[in-house]
Amino acid sequence: MIERYNLFLHEFSLEASKELQLFSIIAQSFFQPFSLMDNLLVIMTALTAGPGLGFNRAMLFLTAGDSLKGEFWLGPASVAEAESIWRVLSTPGIGYPEIIEHNRSLLTSEADTLTKRVKKLSYPIYEEESLIPALNASARQMILVRDARNEPGVDRNFVELIGADEFLCIPLMGQKEVLGEIILDNAITKLPIVARDIELASICGLMAGNYIYTAKLQKRIVDMKKVAAMGEMAMFVTHQLRNPLVTIGGFADQLLDPKTGEKKKRRNIQIIRSEIRRLEKILLRLSQFLRIEVHEKVAVDVREMLKLVQESILARIAGRRITLDIEIEAGLRVLLCDPTHVGEAVRNVLDNAIDAVGDEGRVDLRAYRENAEWAVIAVADTGKGIPESIKDKIFDSFVSTKEKGMGLGLAYVKKVVDACGGRIEIKSAEGRGTTFKLYFRTLPRERGTAS
Amino acid sequence: MKKKILIVEDEKNLCLLYREELTKAGYKVTAAADADTALDKLKKQAFDLIVTDIRMPGKNGIELITQIMALRKDIPIIINTAYQSYKHDFMTWAADAYVVKSASLDELKAKIKELIG
Repeated sequence: MIERYNLFLHEFSLEASKELQLFSIIAQSFFQPFSLMDNLLVIMTALTAGPGLGFNRAMLFLTAGDSLKGEFWLGPASVAEAESIWRVLSTPGIGYPEIIEHNRSLLTSEADTLTKRVKKLSYPIYEEESLIPALNASARQMILVRDARNEPGVDRNFVELIGADEFLCIPLMGQKEVLGEIILDNAITKLPIVARDIELASICGLMAGNYIYTAKLQKRIVDMKKVAAMGEMAMFVTHQLRNPLVTIGGFADQLLDPKTGEKKKRRNIQIIRSEIRRLEKILLRLSQFLRIEVHEKVAVDVREMLKLVQESILARIAGRRITLDIEIEAGLRVLLCDPTHVGEAVRNVLDNAIDAVGDEGRVDLRAYRENAEWAVIAVADTGKGIPESIKDKIFDSFVSTKEKGMGLGLAYVKKVVDACGGRIEIKSAEGRGTTFKLYFRTLPRERGTAS
Repeated sequence: MKKKILIVEDEKNLCLLYREELTKAGYKVTAAADADTALDKLKKQAFDLIVTDIRMPGKNGIELITQIMALRKDIPIIINTAYQSYKHDFMTWAADAYVVKSASLDELKAKIKELIG
């Protein structure tokens, strides 16, 4: 017998302990495609929300250089506020998603006075003798402070700020380095922090540290890729610009030579002009490629978006025996970061398809809803297909099968689709044709109506 | 007797420029737009010097050099490319000179003169 369970549990059995639920939420948050801050907010919410550990408030510091910088402070500012929040939280049907959403809106609102105060804080990490909440990076210790007002080891200003006599400091560790610190207290309920709370908080601290560490590594990889791409780009630009420049320079020199005849002079000027046009085209494509940015997503009508693209494509195939068949589902709307760029990307794919079929063949453009979440813009051709040898390189910048290709077309397509949170699928058989499927997310509120 | 130079360059206008300028400098110039055409011509005719680009459609200049070496070891080769970075590729050391493309052809002409007079 086989039983299957969802790895990402959303409901727990009645016997499941609060701790188990808390850890599940934190572990699952690592798989959410949110930002680092958003995911840390989930962890902090789990530490402070009703069915979690039940600390009243949680303060987050993250490492910047050699200091810990205050990021946010979650929890009620007063007893009255606490009572009203906790009343809402105990309403049936209010779960973690709602609480996290509440906290998220709180952090960005003007009313968040706690966070405003914390943002001003900064403490050194590496000094041997420093006052709590500053951490000694080599110590790897949690610190429970009791009777803070009478404890000389605690920074006075911090005692004033936190207003609680008892609080727990948890370092967030990477492999060796301190990546941040969480400070927890029960300032509202005045419940003592007991051994069990400390044990659980330590696990949360380890998980949060590990999460920040992974996120930082990921960012480093992305940065390194960017640097590598810049290097490649610089080298590519050198070559692309140098050839026309050498040509322009050489023929200009001939113009200055008194022995050059009138006819040749005219020819040279024409060559120079065409090379200058080429330079302009190269710069245009490069700037287009570099300008893609992630904007906030907007819902776009696919048919509307592809109107202009269709017109320019029809002009391109005029006079050739190419059948262009277009079918776009009416009312299909997708979420895009920039419709102009996406339209341009679809045109790039169509251009490739037309190049691939040559003088005779068939190109299909389809747009339809694939399922509740995804819509597809598909371009299929009956052309020569993608050679096996470059299949896994086609999205790399500056790889081209065309003699005069810049190798930016598909790199551009991928960059645009990625920026929109979409994906690309390709099927290709040499000699038989290629199908490109660009997947984009549909509008959430329209998802329910999908058949 | 004029010395014969084979230019391997895929850019049409650039090719025309080299052909004219080197002819003016007193050489007999033949051009090939890619490595395979160049190898073809090498098998049929004798040349005193080869000037080759590196990035070209089809075989690149480095592959071309390897094949020329197998065919005829004694022909001097000048690499003429837009890239500095191929100097790190040790196969380019097999060439007799490495000239980075420039709007002035003086360096290229000087290297040719140095190698074949």
